[in-house]
Amino acid sequence: MSKPEFIYTTYIETTPEKLWLALTDGDFTERYWFGHRVASAWEIGSPYKFSKQDETTIAGKVLAFEPPKRLSYTWDNQKTDLKHERSSRVTFDLEPRGKVVKLTVTHDNLDEGGKTFRDISGGWPMVLASLKSLLETGQPLPPMSSPAAQG
Amino acid sequence: MRKPEFIYVSYIETTPERLWEALTNSAFTKRYWFDTEVRSDWKVGSPFALVMGDKTTDTGAILEADRPRRLSYTFKHQLFEEMRNEPATKVVFTIEPHGKIVKLTVTHEGFIEGSKLLGAVSKGWPAILSGLKSLLETGEVLAIPPDALGIEGFD
Repeated sequence: MSKPEFIYTTYIETTPEKLWLALTDGDFTERYWFGHRVASAWEIGSPYKFSKQDETTIAGKVLAFEPPKRLSYTWDNQKTDLKHERSSRVTFDLEPRGKVVKLTVTHDNLDEGGKTFRDISGGWPMVLASLKSLLETGQPLPPMSSPAAQG
Repeated sequence: MRKPEFIYVSYIETTPERLWEALTNSAFTKRYWFDTEVRSDWKVGSPFALVMGDKTTDTGAILEADRPRRLSYTFKHQLFEEMRNEPATKVVFTIEPHGKIVKLTVTHEGFIEGSKLLGAVSKGWPAILSGLKSLLETGEVLAIPPDALGIEGFD
């Protein structure tokens, strides 16, 4: 039986340094991550969180911090109906390839058949599509008011 | 056991018509699909081919062509021997408008267990679809070096 994991690769015309900032700076994430701000001291073992309108949505701790190559953190969704699911793990790998950066996002340690797996499988493509648009065009994707936004 | 298949979702600021054109017009595909032309008259039952330079890399037949919502074709690799011997697979593009954005879902299925073709297309589609999104949103070609994909024989 294969473990549930979600892997998504995208290629973005940017530099590893700009992409790194986009992943770790709250002002930046707020623009493409649908209003979610990230905050952390960004040291290995230190806590981090995503919040939207002062409400914490995702929290965890930093597992790897190797700018501008690899970022990894644990992932605990703070929604009450997901609290019982195990802490999962997100890893971002950034590889410069000529004028583009290959970004691979791996989300693993997920519960088999859990709701987190379903949620993140719908969420990552939206977040990463908006991130790519912001870095390449200067604008994130416009808000999605229709069923896509609800995943 | 999870089925051996590849699914990729992207969100693109464009219209369903423009996206349909981008998937079916060979002058357009050459710009983002690593110089590959898609050749077909896009009628159900008609042949389909991907041609890169003077080499036909993949062939198939059109299964569905519901412009601009859903396109599917069979897909059999022709170039590399190991993958040429695998049975035909199936590619489905689903295009859904959401306000100013289009959600594109690409599903590639029908692989045998341990398929080499599945490994290759899983590396190929993210690069092709990243290039497609960039071209539609910026008008510029995304310069992905072919060897960045990590596909043996493609560099």
